[in-house]
Amino acid sequence: MIERIHRTGRALFGALRRPMARAFESAENPLNHIGAMTVFFLWIVLISGIWLLIFFRTSVSGAFESVEYLTREQWYLGGIMRSLHRYASDAAIVTIFLHIVKEFVFNRYRNNRWFTWATGVPLVWIIFVLGITGYWLVWDELALYVAISSAELIDSIPIFTDSMAGNFLSDDLLSNRFFTLMAFLHLIGLPIFLVFGIWLHVFRLTGPRINPPRRMMAATLLALLVLSAVYPAISHEQADLAMTPRVLRLDWFYLHVYPLIQLWSPGWVWALLVGVSSIIVIAPWAPPQKKERAAVVTLDYCNGCERCVDDCPFGAVEMVARTDGTNYSHQASVDPDLCVSCGLCVGACPTATPFRTRGALVPGIDLPDSSAANLRESIITAGQNKSSPHVIVFGCRDDRQLKDLDAAGISYVKVNCMGQLPPSFVDFALSRGHADGVLLLGCQDGNCSYRFGAGWTEQRMARLRDPMIRSRVDTSRIALGWHAPWSDNESAVKKHEAFKRALER
Amino acid sequence: MKFLAEALMYAVFIAVIGLLSVWPPYELVEDDRAIISLVFSHAGDRITECRILSQEELNKLPPNMRKPSDCPRERHPVRVELRSGEKTLYQDVLLPSGIWADGKASIYQRIEVPAGRHELFVGMNDSGGSGDFDSTNSVSVDMRPGRNLVIQFDDEAEQFLIR
Repeated sequence: MIERIHRTGRALFGALRRPMARAFESAENPLNHIGAMTVFFLWIVLISGIWLLIFFRTSVSGAFESVEYLTREQWYLGGIMRSLHRYASDAAIVTIFLHIVKEFVFNRYRNNRWFTWATGVPLVWIIFVLGITGYWLVWDELALYVAISSAELIDSIPIFTDSMAGNFLSDDLLSNRFFTLMAFLHLIGLPIFLVFGIWLHVFRLTGPRINPPRRMMAATLLALLVLSAVYPAISHEQADLAMTPRVLRLDWFYLHVYPLIQLWSPGWVWALLVGVSSIIVIAPWAPPQKKERAAVVTLDYCNGCERCVDDCPFGAVEMVARTDGTNYSHQASVDPDLCVSCGLCVGACPTATPFRTRGALVPGIDLPDSSAANLRESIITAGQNKSSPHVIVFGCRDDRQLKDLDAAGISYVKVNCMGQLPPSFVDFALSRGHADGVLLLGCQDGNCSYRFGAGWTEQRMARLRDPMIRSRVDTSRIALGWHAPWSDNESAVKKHEAFKRALER
Repeated sequence: MKFLAEALMYAVFIAVIGLLSVWPPYELVEDDRAIISLVFSHAGDRITECRILSQEELNKLPPNMRKPSDCPRERHPVRVELRSGEKTLYQDVLLPSGIWADGKASIYQRIEVPAGRHELFVGMNDSGGSGDFDSTNSVSVDMRPGRNLVIQFDDEAEQFLIR
């Protein structure tokens, strides 16, 4: 059931991504940087917000007037800043939504990744409350609606005696202190929680990407500036507590739930919000995914080189003091609670070499369920297909296009992630005559089921990162075919054919 | 060509942002309607009056619990009714808050009415039973479209305020 939902989601995501893949280079495709784009939008919100704060007055009459001043009198700067503040906040909601959907449909939330997934939920709440309190501060008709509806929502929690919503019914009940409180929440209180929440969210990730490429940042900022100039954000009429606003231009990104408060009841809206949040939090265990065993260290072959520590995307490997009495000072140690069995540590291990002649192929660090020894056997088996020129394709386990290769009778070797493949195995396939060429059909950066698989492999093959492909290997016989398995405009079979033709030339 | 396609993607993105940040408009109240907000918190009378304890009763109590009077905390529910002419707009019995039912009873109701003149009557019974109202107020008001008329209860003056 859940697999079917994932598959459908991936297909839909692929449909969204396909036209974008035509327009953008892979490294510049915003869909490959959704989380980092959210952080970038929050930077815009912060900087524009500081400008707004300089002119904002925290009083019943001053709030509206100061925002109007920024919008009308200082339209060339304050007005642009206000619009940027609003549109960047809205854009952050879009990227957050896409980020959640993408992580879900690509199954990047279960097993040991539950922590990163679950800590995203309070972040979403904080961002929504930040946005809502921001609308409140303008103190126009929309703000009055948001204030009353929010108060109704809070009043429905059966712990308060006096009605909070009653404070927004007459001018004599509303005090300037209220605006000071809201400004504190919006400007200091909630942002502190947001920063802490983001830190917690990426806590378990090594080298989290929090900045998109510069060109993308520039293009996005330019786009938002154009929108702000062409269609500036404006206020409704000033809030009048004696009148009820009749028609509102709701910001549907933040306020989509509000009409439900009137349509259903505050209690049902709480049920919806808490219910959806709870479903998201428990999703990693509904149902639990069969977990591959964590990487294991074999001290007889571990020389404490630290490459596995450097390459692990989830901080699951660390160096600890040596325990076996050998002369090495340290040894690798795997935390099974953090290991996601991607195999990038195996790809980084210099002792994971298929050329070993003495004893079994046991590297210093290995995956018990997808071992380096099995990988060597798979290469030997794939090498028995003697088409000419014979190309062995290495493909990632989660790549749906592998079955197309199968149907076309093309030999392939499955790895958990392309980063699991030590360069010496490519050397082995070529130099031992198992293949005339090797096509590494890995998942493009941003589409990797794990992290860093494409980047590390590319650097290893370009001899920029240890372990490197040996200099004796003719790299023209190696093709790197990074692709997005669910939205490729070119099929894996065609890539294989094209590489074969290139080898023939 | 690639540049144009990229620009088009960004254009679509900002168009979606710009559009959904204001559209579609949301109609909160129809053109010919107004709102009456009935909002107050009020504690009903205590169900049992305070009673002065006799010396004999006090002597039976531990020394640290010898309060001169016994005041059961439970309060009466508050019955409230709002009418426009002969039509009942709202009617309810509000229970006291708190696990001992000794707190204030609260109401927050927004009632939509047709715009125009209304002969409003609001009444409240806070002393129990189904008898007469303990506090009432009547007023003739012109509810112009979109008006938000607020009805509150002033605990100090013990009367309804309609404004």
